[in-house]
Amino acid sequence: MNRPDVLLATPWHFPTPTVVTLDSGLTVWHFHLPGQHVATYEVVLPTELTHESREKEGIANVTLHSIDEGTHTHPDGGIGELLETQGTTLHGATRYRYTTFGGQSPSRRLRDVLPLFAEVLMEPAYADRDVAHHIEAQIAGYESRLASPGAANRIALRAALYDPEHRDSRPTGGTPETLQNLTAADAVAWHRAHFSPVGATLVIAGAVELDEVIAGVAGWQAVGDRPTEPRPPSPGQERKVVVVDHPDAVQATLALAMRTVTRDDPRWPALRVAGHAVAGAFASRLNLELRERLGYTYGIRGGFAPGVDEGQFSVGASVRTEVAGDSIARTIEALSLKDALTEQEVDDAKQFLIGIAPLANETSADIVNQGATLAGSGLSPEYINAHFADLAQVTAEEATAAFREVVNPEQLTIAVTGAAAELVPALEGLGLSVS
Amino acid sequence: MTKADLHYELSQHRLDNGLQVVVAPDDAAPGVAVNIWVEVGSADEVPGRTGFAHLFEHLMFQGSGNVASGEHMATVEALGGTVNATTSSDRTNYFETVPPGALDLALWMEADRFASLAITPENFEAQRQVVKEEKRQRYDNQPYGDLLELLVAQHFDPSHPYGHLTIGSMEDLDASSLDDVASFFAAWYPASNLRLVLCGPVSADEGLTLAEKHFGDLPTLAKPHRREMPAHGHRSPESLTVSRQVPHSLSYLSWATPPAAHPDIPALDMALAVLSDGHASRLHRSLVKQSDVAYEVHSGMLTNRSADSITTVISRPADGVSLEQVSDAVLEGINQLIEDGPGEAELDRAVAQFERDWLWELATTSGRADAINEAWLVHGDPQRVNTSLAEVLALTPEDLRLAAKRWLQPDAAHRLLYRAENAS
Repeated sequence: MNRPDVLLATPWHFPTPTVVTLDSGLTVWHFHLPGQHVATYEVVLPTELTHESREKEGIANVTLHSIDEGTHTHPDGGIGELLETQGTTLHGATRYRYTTFGGQSPSRRLRDVLPLFAEVLMEPAYADRDVAHHIEAQIAGYESRLASPGAANRIALRAALYDPEHRDSRPTGGTPETLQNLTAADAVAWHRAHFSPVGATLVIAGAVELDEVIAGVAGWQAVGDRPTEPRPPSPGQERKVVVVDHPDAVQATLALAMRTVTRDDPRWPALRVAGHAVAGAFASRLNLELRERLGYTYGIRGGFAPGVDEGQFSVGASVRTEVAGDSIARTIEALSLKDALTEQEVDDAKQFLIGIAPLANETSADIVNQGATLAGSGLSPEYINAHFADLAQVTAEEATAAFREVVNPEQLTIAVTGAAAELVPALEGLGLSVS
Repeated sequence: MTKADLHYELSQHRLDNGLQVVVAPDDAAPGVAVNIWVEVGSADEVPGRTGFAHLFEHLMFQGSGNVASGEHMATVEALGGTVNATTSSDRTNYFETVPPGALDLALWMEADRFASLAITPENFEAQRQVVKEEKRQRYDNQPYGDLLELLVAQHFDPSHPYGHLTIGSMEDLDASSLDDVASFFAAWYPASNLRLVLCGPVSADEGLTLAEKHFGDLPTLAKPHRREMPAHGHRSPESLTVSRQVPHSLSYLSWATPPAAHPDIPALDMALAVLSDGHASRLHRSLVKQSDVAYEVHSGMLTNRSADSITTVISRPADGVSLEQVSDAVLEGINQLIEDGPGEAELDRAVAQFERDWLWELATTSGRADAINEAWLVHGDPQRVNTSLAEVLALTPEDLRLAAKRWLQPDAAHRLLYRAENAS
């Protein structure tokens, strides 16, 4: 039988939310999705981690994670019981440039859930015991990450990518030496200063009406003022090569990365296409070479990730220790893009990045995650459709040229976690000096 | 929607060669999920060839009569689809989600590999190395990497079909050859051993016509059957203490619980939720929030289709508390549930959480297609996706108490105490 033809899909558009700003200063992006039985919602707080004091780093994250342990109205787990009875789970994430806090609930229960969610935002109790428990959990989590090669390597990579004086060089959640300094009073103070509706965005998607949403969160009013000191500029970068010694490791965990331009650069669509062709796809140049042809790794993945005012290009893989040097050499070689990207490679990458959008935005959580990322980066909901239109225009020449301009493989910072006794000589054999 | 009223329309058919098809139309969905379950997993492997079912799954992407090595994945990606495969003890799952206009092509590629898999010695060797790196990355190079293996060994002899992990042994993979590929395919991959679920914007007629068009010419061969196996592993409790270089000591209590299709499973699942799911759960409240016994308590169930499942309750002791003490405290909490049963409010919370999780699993066509295939293999009836929520909503506190009493007796618990070197 002959290979069937593919019928071209109809163009897809990111859904348009209704956007309203309430008297409290909270902006609501409401995506009305009648087919979604489970609704997702997230508040995006424009909180910069540069406002944490050096010795109390991690307070933003501890404040976030202890917020739903009890409220003044429903203390000692009472609020959690009410939320769980409504089929609700809450979640949050602390990022360098913004914090998100939200949850998921059956759409039909949202009318009862949102006032409880607002209660959590407004009047968390921060009992000493609960905060202490979360501090312990964060310390334990940090220790677990250090023991896990992938996570340990990411921590080392970040430290190498940024000047050590800059907040962005250190983990969002703090480290044991700073976490141990935190108290419940610190959480109360951080909450008062940063959990304000002023400048915050609530992104919500599901089978729920806008008036129900507004009624649910209208009571959330500002108490404190957000600090206004501007964020220190991002530091410069220079290549570093670092090795984290895990003497008994049976693999080497590799990452190569650099900080780059982001969405506001006209080359951004071309960079995303090139990044996908080189390292993002299963059939990327790097994965076909290192996994499918050589069997060095279970997989190598990477590409460009956007940020608020800078992006990052990275690739990562776990490989057999004895081929770590060869893997890095081949990766650097491939990233030099001596052979320009072909029309076919660029077409496949564009088709994936554009064609995956309907599937990648199938659920309420997909839409809210995308919306929260835009809100956190100061972009409007229209950005996505404009970006897709730009992606469709990228040519092979543009993709190749943009990648060559932005990624200098000789300047990539490299982090490797594994048996240093073998890895350091292998890296030095490539002419890399390990710091 | 009232809460128990789930109704996904499913049409079920059987091709002449034995391949079974379910089509679950969903006009509003953005893509069509193609989900094939082959009824073979690592519990079907023969001694000396552990890990082969999973290695074989990798080989299924290495080319067939009309599709080059790696082309299947590359093609689906370039269509804006997603594609992968997984192997467990009980089944091997091949799946992709594609734009509706690419369904014909996706099924053509799927059928091609089931009709004409073509593996070269080079591809075979490369994938053997890839699988070894997968094992290192997932197990050998991770803290607690041998935990699952130790847990399984407490419940089953190595010679039992469930006595080894799906990833298998590297020695066995080294010993395997291209001949094994042909014989494994012949033994387990006939059309009669496949279940195909299509879920998305495709009508029942269209889906069936496409299934017939692409899979109808596969030869008609008798359906293979899993060998007889002992229904029970080690039911008398065992205790094992190990020391490893890990950040934290952990207690793993585990019980032999019934196979996946057993009628007690929903009640047992909810009993575990009452014990340890969420901040308001019993063990979290009593051991973490109200006393300084544990920092964390969680539970889980590894369900098996043809023999005992393994249910675990995991706890991380607080400073100054031994693994023995935290284990005893967990068992004391379970004993209380067995004696008093849960309150109505506890049951309501657990069921409300289940409702959201279940609706969420079904929210994507890929998740729904997989849930349909699971219901089909485990219960013999894909329609169970429409009834399992109602089944959980009908549970009473006494159902949970009885399930806990039957399956979580404190004196039946296996203990695996995983001690961090340097810890007290």
